[in-house]
Amino acid sequence: MIKKLTFILTALAVVLVAGCGNNSSNGTNDGDDKAKHKIAYVTNGIDPFWDLCAAGVRQAESELGGVECEIHFPTKGLADQKSIMESLMAKGIAGMAVSPVDADGQTKFLNEIASQTKLITHDADAPKSERLVYIGTDNYKAGRALGRLVKEAIPDGGEVAIFVGRLEQLNARQRRQGVIDELLDRPSQTLGQIKFDEVAKVFKGEKYTIVDTRTDNFVMDAAKSNAEDAITKYENLACMVGLFAYNPPRCLQAIKEAGKLGKIKVCGFDEDDALLQAIKDGHAHGTISQQPWNYGYQSVKVLKSILDGDNSVIPPNKFIDLGYKSVTAKNIDEFWSEKNKMAALGKKKD
Amino acid sequence: MNKNTIGILSLFVLIFGFTWYSNENFVNGYNMTNLVKWSSLYAIMGIGVAFVIITGGIDLSIGSVIGLVASLLALAIKYEWNPTLTVVLLLGLSIVIGLMHGLLITKVKLQPFVVTLCGLLFYRGISRWLTDNQTMQFPGTENLDSFFSGKLLIFGKFALSSPFFFLVVVAIIAAFFLNRTIWGRYLLALGNNEDGARYSGIQTDRLKIAAYVICSFLAGVSGLLFAYELDSVQPAQTGEFYELYAIAAAVLGGCSLRGGQGAIFGVIIAAAVIRLLRNSINLVGISTHLEFSIIGLVILGGVTADELIKRIVAKRRSKQISTSKS
Repeated sequence: MIKKLTFILTALAVVLVAGCGNNSSNGTNDGDDKAKHKIAYVTNGIDPFWDLCAAGVRQAESELGGVECEIHFPTKGLADQKSIMESLMAKGIAGMAVSPVDADGQTKFLNEIASQTKLITHDADAPKSERLVYIGTDNYKAGRALGRLVKEAIPDGGEVAIFVGRLEQLNARQRRQGVIDELLDRPSQTLGQIKFDEVAKVFKGEKYTIVDTRTDNFVMDAAKSNAEDAITKYENLACMVGLFAYNPPRCLQAIKEAGKLGKIKVCGFDEDDALLQAIKDGHAHGTISQQPWNYGYQSVKVLKSILDGDNSVIPPNKFIDLGYKSVTAKNIDEFWSEKNKMAALGKKKD
Repeated sequence: MNKNTIGILSLFVLIFGFTWYSNENFVNGYNMTNLVKWSSLYAIMGIGVAFVIITGGIDLSIGSVIGLVASLLALAIKYEWNPTLTVVLLLGLSIVIGLMHGLLITKVKLQPFVVTLCGLLFYRGISRWLTDNQTMQFPGTENLDSFFSGKLLIFGKFALSSPFFFLVVVAIIAAFFLNRTIWGRYLLALGNNEDGARYSGIQTDRLKIAAYVICSFLAGVSGLLFAYELDSVQPAQTGEFYELYAIAAAVLGGCSLRGGQGAIFGVIIAAAVIRLLRNSINLVGISTHLEFSIIGLVILGGVTADELIKRIVAKRRSKQISTSKS
């Protein structure tokens, strides 16, 4: 029996080694690595959104030259992100762009990093930290834009439910507040001084009622069953709003299985293919895109300028607003082909 | 019915009644369809790990096996391999994984906890590496799609979905194996007293290996079902922590972590309780942030109540015996 086992193990090892060998033969390209700035791009999780950002990073890396980028996707939230950043520091990195999982809680740690390397934030800011600049979207404004999409989708008003991965993230809270404020016709708030509403509360406006906000902690089956349960609980649900990229597709799946396609409208954030297809087919109304490739591209570009000694890229308010794009049936084709083009461009690296 | 199953069944009825009372939509066809579907998915994993737990072992690699199978499936679809052949190969792979676990545990005599913990890390890493950690979405693959995530309309809006039919088949075979075959009896005997079982001529190693093979195979089946249910696979996250739900379902359903006890029907109801709790939290309108605490508390409460009831029954019986003697 032991013999058999040794044989199986050896065979497995051989297969694995062969696999590794194949992979490494086409990866490396030796060049003048010493002259290049080493830059790290750290996300806050795994998502197709980050894949597109990564595409932008790769594009900037090859177009701008003089930089060598590594991209990290922390899989387990805060602790994982921290340990990745720590090991990057240990390895030695010239510049880092990070999307902090918990902006306020991480301030001290981010300052530690900022004292040792050029640190910028992207996608989500840590305003209290000493990061050099924040590259992103004004998520409150983007949330209000999403609210306007909901108003277009259900002009007569109705019940709206919000779905999101987690609300610990500042950008998630800002988006949610933007949607609520817009639907309740409240005056606009300034980013950085926003008053956030409670989670477990129903907001009733003149026309629109926000009945619920459900979180799923990035677990796909929870995202789907949250949407299913909302359909069960709120018989008159008129619109589902997904704040993270994977939320709208899960809402659409649930709506489809309930036989309510078109009856319950969907508005979302980001540019998941399933959502874009639904916008094209008329099953979803629209989405707000931050054009993620810009995030990746601009992060590398700004870090490179700073490392080259050019600090003029940093505006006085330390915020580079990349804006957002409203995508509906009107401009879906144009937007989708741009997305595909960017994704392909980013992949073309070697 | 097994005595252990009555406790969990009452817990199920209690939560079911409470949720129904709080929200009458709870019992509508659409919600019941979903509840049955998710419960079935969890129960299949639970039955798998129940076999391992009956032998006194543990399998922590279930979630990672699910992730690996789902990732490989998505990869195969991306590269346009024959879907049916892929499914067969993946089920074969999960059997091989179980065989490896079993051999390492029985022949090399490693602790099940260690072997399967290493499995948990190893398979997760392989999934991420093979897919370059990219989220994979797969477009419909006609026949297989309806085979793994189809629905059969029963009445009104109530439909039974594929996972339910998988569960029925799995449960019948598992219950038959455990309660009606000599192998099932041996398995329980082995869990109660391994040395005793071996000295009475039972080939304990083979039985143990079989238990790990069953567990990994059912994890593989679940991987396929989850992938088709969600149409999206995230190599780093698909299936993560599912082993804990599976183990919870098995233990709550009457399997003792010390081995030697197990009831298939109980495991199914326990899996349903776990899903029912989630459903209930959403429908009653409790903050999703409390979800884990509530599931943890209810499971703990259920197991405690079960233990206390067992003790009371045992005490009474010993009293009866002593009175009848005198």
